[in-house]
Amino acid sequence: MTLFSLVHRNLRRNRLRTGLTLLAVALPLIIFVLATTVVNIALRIAASAKEHLRLAVHHKVSLINPLPEAHRRRIEELDPEHTRIKAVCGMRWFGGRVPNDQFNFPSLAGDPDTWPIAYPEHRLTSEELAAWQSERRAAVVGTTTADRFGWKVGQKITLKSVIPPYLTVELKIVKITTAGDTRMVSFRRDYLDEMLRAVGAPAGYANIFWVKCHRAEDLGPLQRQIDELFRNSPDQTKTEDEEAFLASFLKMQGDLPNLMAAVAAFVVLVVILVAANTMSMSFRERVGEVAVFKALGFSRRAVLLLILAESVTIALWGGILGSLPLYLLLKLFPDIGFGPISRISVPPRVVGVALGMSVVIGLLAGLVPAARAYQLRVVDALRRVA
Amino acid sequence: MPLIELVGVSKEYLKDRIPVPALLDLNLTIEGGDFVALMGPSGSGKTTLLNLLGGLDHPTTGTVRVGDDSLERMSERQLTAWRSRHVGFVFQAYHLVPVLTAAQNVELPLLLFSMSRSERRRRVQTVLDVVGLADRADHRPNQLSGGQEQRVAIARAIVTDPMLILADEPTGNLDARSAREIMTLLSLLNRDFSKTVMLVTHDPHAAEFARRTLHLEKGALERDVTEPALSFRSPTSRTAGVST
Repeated sequence: MTLFSLVHRNLRRNRLRTGLTLLAVALPLIIFVLATTVVNIALRIAASAKEHLRLAVHHKVSLINPLPEAHRRRIEELDPEHTRIKAVCGMRWFGGRVPNDQFNFPSLAGDPDTWPIAYPEHRLTSEELAAWQSERRAAVVGTTTADRFGWKVGQKITLKSVIPPYLTVELKIVKITTAGDTRMVSFRRDYLDEMLRAVGAPAGYANIFWVKCHRAEDLGPLQRQIDELFRNSPDQTKTEDEEAFLASFLKMQGDLPNLMAAVAAFVVLVVILVAANTMSMSFRERVGEVAVFKALGFSRRAVLLLILAESVTIALWGGILGSLPLYLLLKLFPDIGFGPISRISVPPRVVGVALGMSVVIGLLAGLVPAARAYQLRVVDALRRVA
Repeated sequence: MPLIELVGVSKEYLKDRIPVPALLDLNLTIEGGDFVALMGPSGSGKTTLLNLLGGLDHPTTGTVRVGDDSLERMSERQLTAWRSRHVGFVFQAYHLVPVLTAAQNVELPLLLFSMSRSERRRRVQTVLDVVGLADRADHRPNQLSGGQEQRVAIARAIVTDPMLILADEPTGNLDARSAREIMTLLSLLNRDFSKTVMLVTHDPHAAEFARRTLHLEKGALERDVTEPALSFRSPTSRTAGVST
């Protein structure tokens, strides 16, 4: 037996109470970890969206309504000198699946000439860019989907659309990318149009035009100019910057860190009170035992450390229960996501913070009973128990 | 030189800020290897005296010497270390840790010493043999009878091989048969292992096992009776009590 095993055995003294205390620590920490993770992701996406300097131009009615090809040219004509607009890239939703597989991933066809400019985050090398430009069936695939199917660069893949006219396309992977939505499969729109024409379906439409700008200060004026340009068109537009796509998160962006800090402080405070109450009850029941420990020769410091270790252990187990399962769950199932967030993963740093918080909770909760144990006079305690 | 020497020892407690005397100018010597019973009515100072001898409390005045150590001069930390080496405590309510087995309860005081696990196990096994509970080593306190629990407590008290065993009403919670077994065990420790035993008791039958009986009354030593202990007397004389 060691003092460490003694601490663990003490936790088994009242299993129901230990279990409930553990849950009281774990459950708020689950919320904390999840909230912190989502906020982190939202802030990261917001930060990257700002960097991308892209405007999304889609149909005013909905994203499903396509916009004609001519819109691209008219948008480009707003800046003939290319001082504000770097590129305009039309994208069309394909809705592809791997035949006989239910894995859901976004697949979009983009303009071959401007897609690499509008999406520089994929960092196509000169060879990859050349392959994209020369190969009509070229595709850039995110790592999640590539890993899911074991795809490699150079491999030919088949996607079957789940939306009319239910086309089947054969693509050749030129790049596997870690940037952006890692489930995404992007390929060339000219190839898609060619396939659409082959079956007599309308071609030359895009669901969205991405307008890549040079400077952040150009985004606002261009946004207004583009919507003004198509005001009297049968296909009116709604232009938003990329941040607006994440409005649910981004509206709160400025307040989120402070809000999270407040939530974290509140969570810690509540959990400390619960845990402190439990530890105090536990100590009260064992005053005689603590006195005997001291009589046997355990020093005041040793008794203090034993009580603190017990409190920290129970809180740490709560911290582990509140953070690690979530971390592992999202690690094992990386495709869990919602809204614009295609993948949620708990950063190890957040798990570390949660575990650190649980240690602090344990220390603070155990402080009062540990101090009482430290000060306890053996004679008084034994007399009280007797 | 006697093992224990108390000179002019007084002890006062504060009760609602009013000083209450527990021991009054006590002078006492106890030889090493003796078996002494402390008797007297409640509040006579028996447990206070035991606490002073065990280094659990300081006297208000006077000196308490045990072996070569003057306890009244020691700090809290020094007394704690001293207790772990020289004193074994046995309490009325056993005070075993309920989540530990008998062997682990006995092992507890050894955790304070720098000692290998195998040495600890060996010592625990030895003392459990002495108290006759080797076959109950893996039982938890709630799986033992009261008498067995007290024997585990005695094993815990002697596992560090202390010179002094202080037992405060060790038979107080036991039936007559178990009480006799415990007293026989304490006698054996005194006789065969030369442990000095100080026993606080209200029970004259328990006190019969001691060689010397000190009667306290209102904090003062009223009588000091020395006669052969029960375990050393013939069976026919066992009805004779020291309290007569």
